[in-house]
Amino acid sequence: MNDAVSDPLAELVPDVAALGRRLADHAYLADQGLSTALFCAARLPQPLLLEGEAGVGKTTAAQALAAALDTRLVRLQCYEGIDSTEALYEWNYARQLLGIRLAEARGEALDDVDLFTPEFLVERPLLSALRHPGPRPAVLLVDEVDRADDEFEAFLFELLAESSVTIPELGTQRAEFPPIVVLTSNRTRDLHDALKRRCLYHWIDYPGPIRASEIIRMHVPAARSSLADQVAAAVSRLRTLDVQKAPGIAEAIGWVAALEVLGFEVLDAEAAELTIGSVLKYRDDAELAAARSFEWVVTG
Amino acid sequence: MGRHRLIPDVADVVARFADRLHVAGIAVTPERAGRLASALDLAAPSTTAELYWLARVTVAGDRHELATFDAVFDEVFRGFVDVADSRGATEQPRLPPALERGDRRTDAAAAALNADGGTPRPSTLGSDRVGGDDDQPPSPVGAPASDHAVLRQRDFGSCTPEELARLRRLMSRMRIVTPQRPSRRRRRHARGDSIDLRASIRRARRTGGDPATLVRRRITERRRRVVLLADVSGSMEAYSRAYLYLLHGAVRALRAESFVFSTQLTRVTRTLALLDPERALSTAMAATDDWSGGTRIGDALREFNDRWGRRGLARGAVVIIVSDGWESGNTSELGRQMDRLSRLAHRIVWVNPRSHRPDYEPLVGGMAAALPYVDAFVSGHSVEALEHVLDVVASGVSSTHPVVSARRSGRG
Repeated sequence: MNDAVSDPLAELVPDVAALGRRLADHAYLADQGLSTALFCAARLPQPLLLEGEAGVGKTTAAQALAAALDTRLVRLQCYEGIDSTEALYEWNYARQLLGIRLAEARGEALDDVDLFTPEFLVERPLLSALRHPGPRPAVLLVDEVDRADDEFEAFLFELLAESSVTIPELGTQRAEFPPIVVLTSNRTRDLHDALKRRCLYHWIDYPGPIRASEIIRMHVPAARSSLADQVAAAVSRLRTLDVQKAPGIAEAIGWVAALEVLGFEVLDAEAAELTIGSVLKYRDDAELAAARSFEWVVTG
Repeated sequence: MGRHRLIPDVADVVARFADRLHVAGIAVTPERAGRLASALDLAAPSTTAELYWLARVTVAGDRHELATFDAVFDEVFRGFVDVADSRGATEQPRLPPALERGDRRTDAAAAALNADGGTPRPSTLGSDRVGGDDDQPPSPVGAPASDHAVLRQRDFGSCTPEELARLRRLMSRMRIVTPQRPSRRRRRHARGDSIDLRASIRRARRTGGDPATLVRRRITERRRRVVLLADVSGSMEAYSRAYLYLLHGAVRALRAESFVFSTQLTRVTRTLALLDPERALSTAMAATDDWSGGTRIGDALREFNDRWGRRGLARGAVVIIVSDGWESGNTSELGRQMDRLSRLAHRIVWVNPRSHRPDYEPLVGGMAAALPYVDAFVSGHSVEALEHVLDVVASGVSSTHPVVSARRSGRG
């Protein structure tokens, strides 16, 4: 492990507050809990498992962390059946075949060693994060890890634990700058205890109306602050309804952007009715809001 | 470090804090405790809020642990710091009773209690509801059936405890199998439809770089997930027990998920994987406090859809619902939620033990509302009928056995 003096991140983010400020500079308002979680992920360093409802900014948090640390973001989107050739590396077979033919045509002798060299290697996200040349470690975002299957989770776990990977033809690749790892999960299944045990954990809550308004203004700078306040309040009102999918901060931003592009300067009942589709994504939910009256949605 | 240190002796405080968390039911591994110590060292918290977040991020491992964590944090750090300002207006959760008891217990005893590291929360386990077999009312049918064949046809609801135990042994040999679906993974196969380039190139090295034989592979198949939603209110309990036994063995192989409901929905998948079905059921029932309210199937289904089904748990799965369809809530809500569920699930098999009676008609409000969305409607009230349920689940075809065969067209 690096000691504090040689840690390239120590100067950039000496404490939690410094990281919070840098995140804000990159248009991401993190509360103290999330700042602390990201700080520990980067500085301990330890993989961080982020959970929370859809649309609270799990993925964006990792992107903002990369921006704040002025380093590369490597994203691995998980899906069912993902395996090492899609996540780690693959050989460039077409090029290898060409290489063989070329050598034949030139009458050269060809060895195994000539075909399995780094130039024939196709890096996938995990390998690319491990081989990141620095000067600061890359941020590796493993998105929706619950979608991958058990086998992949075990494989990932081992890779994270070792910060190295063995490619039979090339030998062991050890990361010079082990990546800062952020995993997100939607809780569609239980993750393995072994993986959870290794990770820091943070549950992201919906922000309150005031913070939501700040976040909206940061993302839609053109919007008036009064409009942002109104939308933030309306969204928190909608969340009290018994809706199937409670709107998150992403929906609030989308709503303001829609109002903005349509030229509404204030959120009134008529504007809300016209644009409700950008915040409630189920027909039943929209009907529920209509039944409660749009007047209530905008004014309470 | 120049900053004023909030905590005098890090190692000591971390150890004691971890100990209290242990007693409260959060398993703090030495690894996590060590991580907290490193974090405290690294970030040198000077306010309680800072300390709270550092501890929570490093020690808590799941959302469910957060309330307990908060309570213990308050308990431990209230002594020399004021925590009130750290988390805004959140209500302070009560300490679990076990922790209050822990106050009077010696540290050594507490440590011994938690020596195995995986102690479950004492508040839900060890309840006096566990010994279910002893306090069951005597069976309405007099003499226990001795004949094997008779036992196979015996209604679960009218079995004596001894008979149930014997049935359980019968059932342990039964295996639930779901239909297959294409997986995204590919395996090598002699007549596969795509080429495994990696293996082909490797083989080409034997023939001087000429890919003379192509290695093929094809998509593998995977069994569909099975999800059980079992009604445990009143007379349905005996039947639901049988189905939990059935799914006990399938937790791993089929990624089976089990839920029980009466007035509220409880997920028992994890308890079922760790404990035997009897204890899992008792634990779930201990968590349900309201028994007089009747069965709210619609509400339970809505909670299932919102919290689990929509996120992917029910997608493409075979859903088995065990219930008599007596809805004490709103039947139109039940219809709506069944509609949602039917759009997520591959098939819905409704097991209604009452339906084997010759005079049964699904006219009960709830049952009538749910039926249009059910792919197979079966009785499943005895071991013999259970075999039929397994056939229906495995084959993916509609059922001929039931009194009513409600089936929508156009689903596969």
